[in-house]
Amino acid sequence: MSAGMLYGGDEIGALVFDVGHYSLRVGYAQEDTPKAEIPAVVGILEEAAPLPSSIKADSMEVDDKKSDMTPSNAKNKYYIDTNYLHVARRGMEVTSYMKDGMIEDWDLFEKVLDYTYAKCIQSKSVFHPVLMSEAPWNVRQKREKLTELMFEKYEVPAFFLVKNAVLAAFANGRATGIVVDSGATHTSAVPVQDGFVLSQAIVKSPLGGDYITMQCKNFLQQESEIEIVPPYMIGAKEAVKEREKARWTQKKNLPEVTQSWHNYMTKKVVQDFQASVLQVCETPYDEKTVSSIPTVHYEFPNGYHQDFGSERFLIPEALFDPSVVPMRAGMVGNTMLGVGHIVTTSVGMCDVDVRPSLYGSVVVTGGNSFLQGFPERLNRDLSVRIPSSMRLKLISANGCAERRFGAWIGGSILASIGTFQQMWISSQEYKEGGKGQVERKCP
Amino acid sequence: MADVRDILDLERPPTPEITKETILGNDKLKRKPIAPKVSKRPEGMHREVFALLYTDNKDAPPVFPTDTGQGYKQMKAKLGMRKVRPWKWMPFTNPARTDGAVFYHWRRVADEGKEYPFAKFNKQVPVPTYTDSEYVQLHIDGWSRAETDHLFDLCRRFDLRFIVVHDRWDRTRFQSRSVEDLKERYYNACSILARMRAPPGQEPKMYVFDADHERRRKEQLRRLFERTPEQVEEEQTLLSELRKIEARKKEREKKQQDLQKLITAADSQADPRRPDKKVNKKKLPHQVRPRNDSSNSVETAGIKFPDFKNSGVSVRSQRMKLPASVGQKKIKAIETMLTELGVELMPMPTEEICQHFNELRSDMVLLYELKQALATCDYDLQTLRHQYEALNPGKTLVMPGSISGGNVDEGPSSTQDTEPVRQRVVSEIIDVVGSPGTPSGS
Repeated sequence: MSAGMLYGGDEIGALVFDVGHYSLRVGYAQEDTPKAEIPAVVGILEEAAPLPSSIKADSMEVDDKKSDMTPSNAKNKYYIDTNYLHVARRGMEVTSYMKDGMIEDWDLFEKVLDYTYAKCIQSKSVFHPVLMSEAPWNVRQKREKLTELMFEKYEVPAFFLVKNAVLAAFANGRATGIVVDSGATHTSAVPVQDGFVLSQAIVKSPLGGDYITMQCKNFLQQESEIEIVPPYMIGAKEAVKEREKARWTQKKNLPEVTQSWHNYMTKKVVQDFQASVLQVCETPYDEKTVSSIPTVHYEFPNGYHQDFGSERFLIPEALFDPSVVPMRAGMVGNTMLGVGHIVTTSVGMCDVDVRPSLYGSVVVTGGNSFLQGFPERLNRDLSVRIPSSMRLKLISANGCAERRFGAWIGGSILASIGTFQQMWISSQEYKEGGKGQVERKCP
Repeated sequence: MADVRDILDLERPPTPEITKETILGNDKLKRKPIAPKVSKRPEGMHREVFALLYTDNKDAPPVFPTDTGQGYKQMKAKLGMRKVRPWKWMPFTNPARTDGAVFYHWRRVADEGKEYPFAKFNKQVPVPTYTDSEYVQLHIDGWSRAETDHLFDLCRRFDLRFIVVHDRWDRTRFQSRSVEDLKERYYNACSILARMRAPPGQEPKMYVFDADHERRRKEQLRRLFERTPEQVEEEQTLLSELRKIEARKKEREKKQQDLQKLITAADSQADPRRPDKKVNKKKLPHQVRPRNDSSNSVETAGIKFPDFKNSGVSVRSQRMKLPASVGQKKIKAIETMLTELGVELMPMPTEEICQHFNELRSDMVLLYELKQALATCDYDLQTLRHQYEALNPGKTLVMPGSISGGNVDEGPSSTQDTEPVRQRVVSEIIDVVGSPGTPSGS
């Protein structure tokens, strides 16, 4: 900050938490990627089950003695973060603390925060102001609860809550725009005007990454009758010819794992399949055009491998045109909105004056938008739907980290801007005004 | 550069040149080199020779290489010429905050204790407040006190971003309102407050919000936005049709103008500047003319202003633009006449003025043309008289007053036989100009 020249940033050692349904992203403001990405699921092991001492030693344990827990679950062990979670343990249940984009299980969330401070940040919470993201439809009671938690338990010097759509827009250099966030559990279109979410015009649909994962799983297991074996079970495997039955042997002395953990591991495999094979068709799905596109080869962890053709386009087509998907697994396809429809509906609910600026910056973010061809298809769908006089510009960060951590990066930018430092809810303000402050200070 | 200056005989400026010292940053040695007294080159001495004598230091060139100077001993250039300014992790309070919260950040030690630099960006939109007694004045039907309070509160919170205010409007407690309703209420209340608080006798500045206009505008925008593709397509086809029609019309007009030009060209060839050719040439347009006369609905002597029935918007002053068919001479003439009359060259183009101005100029052109025709006739008359006088020496032709330019004496005509011919010439020329007001020739 030399004389005459004012650099716009002022970093006060703030932490940024981006709470997502798939993972929690944590890191220091002003950095370009989060320090850690922690899955939004926690492995719980009830102490009653006998535990081999070796695992106990190397596993992450949140010491229950420190935290004031109710005695009923005081004996539980919690396994947080990929390294601890992916170890096969007897009787470990996997649960998520999130629901509908909002924090549901506060005890588990606290455990995760404890872990984060101890292992990722490695610093005391009292030193760092905290900026957290939230779902644009977060409810008042949860916001207040979170504020209370941060000030009372973690004694943060200052706290701030921002809607993740706003942060994603900031990360892409916009204060006004419509944020299309295709995440794990849902796809939403959130109009942002001057850094404020227009909450009346939010449109969301439950077609997200998890839905695609489910469709993939159904396709693999029921239609193609491919056995999905998570890597933890595999002891050895042999190379086989394409479409030949896999030859593999199970690992010895596997502990008796729970169904939820097994499902979680299976889902990981499907997610990998999803990321490497699926592609969104640039034009609406058409059997003919799709069949001319080269197939993609994929090998499963157990050694089975084959080429995938039209189905790799058909599955993600559900995102854009839910009616193509037959009623599969009880999910009613055609009552949902496709992504393009979500966006136009949302913009249509906004004031006429802001519509051009919204279409002028359609920010695509969220992990699910990484499906190959997602932004291109959205661009095409939108351009046929909106009047030709309207300027349409789709903004999607190209880099992997930039789009996956879009909201986190926005938070990192925001919390390190000099003029933002007056916005924090400080601990003094919290003491005077109570948790109700959050509703006024963090719009 | 120095050489160029030398050649051009320019004095060398006393500005410090870039030397090794300035780059290496030897602050100690920064004393300015004493400017050598540049002695003027004697007249007649060659520049190069003089330069040999008076080098920069005015001393003889070294005969032996020396290494006494700093030379290249100091290998590294010191680029950061100043001392290191340390940073410190220090507490600060932000004056833009009301609670005086203390945060920590990195700052230069030199800046310690200075005001937080970002505080000056804390700009707030002034939203007026009102007291209970003032509210009595603000009250209007349809808006309760609580609702107005809520509106002002939201305006303050969102810095008059009415779109956001509308979004956060408490729909559970109050009825839903449009953005225009909110704006109307807010700005009305503000202007009432401003008027109440203004010192007597002084009209405060007020922002006038025309809600109805806004509503109409929004409605129109909304309709424009919600057009179906079919409607858009229909409009496109209509527009292209219109364009085609206009192109055809323009073409027709152009043809017409070409025709007119041809006619006037033919007539101007009948211009009697070259009297010897005139007589036989004049026969030609004479034969053509009847066809011209039959279509007398088109020809007017003045300016034919094109119709302005273009689609879309145009400025009315465009209607006052002279068409391209009007020649430079005529334009000049119009301008001089207008200045003589004291009429502006480009008056304010109201509907009425446009019409009258165009009529006036049209009449002016007519007048101009008539005058020219008259001048031509006069000229004709004069030449003929001279011819007559040359042929009949000693006789003078006396013009009858009715056809003479005006300054001819009133004597009775002695040459009865030539008169009808000339009369016809005059009427013919006037007719060529083709004003509907002038009577057609014989």
